[in-house]
Amino acid sequence: MFKNNNYPSALLLSAAVGAAGVAVSFPASADQYSDAAEKWVNESFKRSTLTKEEQLEELAWFTKAAEQFRGMDINVVSETIATHEYEASTLAKAFTDITGINLTHTLIQEGDVIEKLQTQMQSGRNIYDAYVNDSDLIGTHFRYGKVVPVQSIMEGAGKDLTLPTLDLDDFIGLDFVTAPDGTLYQLPDQQFANLYWFRADWFERDDLKSQFKEIYGYDLGVPVNWSAYEDIAEFFSVHVKEIDGKRVYGHMDYGKKDPSLGWRFTDAWFSMAGAGDKGLPNGLPVDEWGIRVEECHPVGSSVSRGGATNGPAAVYATTKYVDWLEKYAPPEAPGMTFSEAGPVPAQGNVAQQIFWYTAFTASMVKDGLPVVNEDGTPKWRMAPSPRGPYWEEGMKLGYQDVGSWTFFDSTPEKRRLAAWLYAQFTVSKTVSLEKTLAGLTPIRESDINSDEMTEAAPRLGGLVEFYRSPARVQWSPTGTNVPDYPKLAQLWWQFIAQAASGEATPQEALDGLAKAQDRVLERLERANVMATCGPKLNEPRDPQYWLDQPGSPKAKLDNEKPQGKTVPYQELLKTWEDARQS
Amino acid sequence: MENSRGKNIGITIFIVLLLTPIYWLLNMSFKTNQEILGGLTLWPENFTLHNYEVIFTDPSWYNGYINSMIYVSMNVVITLLVALPAAYAFSRYKFLGDKHLFFWLLSNRMAPPAVFLLPFFQLYSSIGLFDTHIAVALAHCLFNVPLAVWILEGFMSGVPREYDEMAYIDGYSFPKFFVKIFLPMIRSGIGVTAFFAFMFSWVELLLARTLTSVDAQPIAAIMTRTVGASGIDWGVLAAAGSLTIIPGLLVIWFVRNHVAKGFALGRV
Repeated sequence: MFKNNNYPSALLLSAAVGAAGVAVSFPASADQYSDAAEKWVNESFKRSTLTKEEQLEELAWFTKAAEQFRGMDINVVSETIATHEYEASTLAKAFTDITGINLTHTLIQEGDVIEKLQTQMQSGRNIYDAYVNDSDLIGTHFRYGKVVPVQSIMEGAGKDLTLPTLDLDDFIGLDFVTAPDGTLYQLPDQQFANLYWFRADWFERDDLKSQFKEIYGYDLGVPVNWSAYEDIAEFFSVHVKEIDGKRVYGHMDYGKKDPSLGWRFTDAWFSMAGAGDKGLPNGLPVDEWGIRVEECHPVGSSVSRGGATNGPAAVYATTKYVDWLEKYAPPEAPGMTFSEAGPVPAQGNVAQQIFWYTAFTASMVKDGLPVVNEDGTPKWRMAPSPRGPYWEEGMKLGYQDVGSWTFFDSTPEKRRLAAWLYAQFTVSKTVSLEKTLAGLTPIRESDINSDEMTEAAPRLGGLVEFYRSPARVQWSPTGTNVPDYPKLAQLWWQFIAQAASGEATPQEALDGLAKAQDRVLERLERANVMATCGPKLNEPRDPQYWLDQPGSPKAKLDNEKPQGKTVPYQELLKTWEDARQS
Repeated sequence: MENSRGKNIGITIFIVLLLTPIYWLLNMSFKTNQEILGGLTLWPENFTLHNYEVIFTDPSWYNGYINSMIYVSMNVVITLLVALPAAYAFSRYKFLGDKHLFFWLLSNRMAPPAVFLLPFFQLYSSIGLFDTHIAVALAHCLFNVPLAVWILEGFMSGVPREYDEMAYIDGYSFPKFFVKIFLPMIRSGIGVTAFFAFMFSWVELLLARTLTSVDAQPIAAIMTRTVGASGIDWGVLAAAGSLTIIPGLLVIWFVRNHVAKGFALGRV
């Protein structure tokens, strides 16, 4: 009995120690998340449009909302750009620390993201729990019915898991991710535009200014129309030729037969010439791809079916692309791909580029580059792209890439909801300003207008000014007219390459493209795979009938080269500033 | 004398030509992107280890190498385990349709791997093997086993049947004979088979990429992340490429003595 007494007491003791341990560890584990939140806010999310208390409150909401998902392994995927690298390396870790959900943010190249996404759509099997997918696929997603719209998550299963301070009205890209029926399908995560790029330092040189005026009769400045762009290209490539002993060119582009040649066109090149109809974010009934819709059903892209893919404006745009590449770009440009051509202007021998992604901003302000001043400010600026002769007020003027969170119905609901939390975390005001400064792809009005962005502006060559300007809305992604982005987009480079290499005339190449697009539309119509708004092709008829109708497809202009027009950069900034004040 | 000097020069030129691309890859991997894009430099002017640092400090990078090595090793082991008995059967026994079977084994190799992408994806994800190392290893076996059987059969047929019989008379059991006597006689064949299996699996991208998403993602799929909307990260890509050569080099180094004979595929 005595002996035995030891036993219970030992048990008791260990139980007491255990209980104490539990008592101690419980509050500790509850605190673990708020400690993590505090640490992240203090160390990594210092710059924010929220106060520190508001940030902590937001993060506390995430901790609480994630309770039911703790310990899950959630996988999301995106393409590789600086913004997503920041998310994958910083935000995913922070999210894991703050919520207890093990989040892996995988980075692969954009083509692979699309491939995985298509595999998931077609097989109905879950590969990733969420995708950052360009909003160019909005027309695809709302038609196939395989995507769970963000709006139905917010109103349905995810109602209690939707951040109260998400503040959708603060997003600048919601138009781009909304289907024709008004449903919000995706949530913007990053966006960048395609603008005009030029060497502001050269444009300011008196000798060049007077030489330009002498030859062309108007001032050297930011070109407002393509005629002026063409004149400036010719001026630098043919007349100036050398600056400070170095051969310079008035234009840069690329033309290798490669899939990236497709983006050069599907990223709204025709819209800059003015090929589509009026309407923002995209022209209706004909968009910049030349696809006509009637009541949301695509009805054709050839002029004979009411489309504009091979219309006079598209042919003009393609002809100019080929001519300029041949005449004014560096001799190696026609053999280059997008990735090879992109860094060329940073080498300092290109005066202007009509088709330039702001995603290149960070890589073009690096110290030591020939296009960067010693104080770290760029010698170049970005400005709105010039417009072609077919362009009219009320049309879009260029492309904007809007990577957006996308969720599929083939993802198990619990996983989808956990991923939804992460998606909101990456765009929450707590982290969004830091993310914007890291990746330069703004999505929120509040970030754009922040003091931190004002401070960064001089080093960003006009990026901040552009995003603050009212002109911004004219830059938009591919719209809802395109019913199957992956299937249609892959046609473009093959036909454009024919024109670029001289194998076919622009008219022949675009006729082929329009026909090929119509064939895809026809197949989609026959297969009847689209849940809503599937293609219903028009019968082909005499193209003249459609050219005679108002709007796009537009008949050929008698004069495709009107008088060149330019505007001084400073004046441009001022009109933006004035418009913003009013 | 004249002649051998001419030979030396010829060989030197040949080797230089062969090594130029590899030198260029190495050269790029030690440069900054700015230098790579800036102009032609024959060696790194601003020597940097930054590109390698990116790979060795980021788990999502170096895990790619680990994943690849895991499934490649699995594949080599499975291929040899399966192909050795099969090749022995083809070389020693006669059975109905053996010639046809032997030939049609190769039919899997006649189709490009892309053909099997979707069927494999469907199959593996329905049995829960998607995104595992064994899935990729098994998928690669489809291509490696037939080739391995063909190579090994050649070697085995080069070993006179009398050895089998002598071992039997000497009282060796079959397994003991197979492992102790037979295998050592064809070890150069096994070396070269392992080498081919390794190489196919190491450089194969399509299947490996389609059958994985996160946990078993191969290095070749991870390398694609250097391509982005703001251009290509050439330096890191070159560093990653240089590192992918190393495992192949090691394998060749270890089997080099066997391979010379082995590459003749059993012919004497």
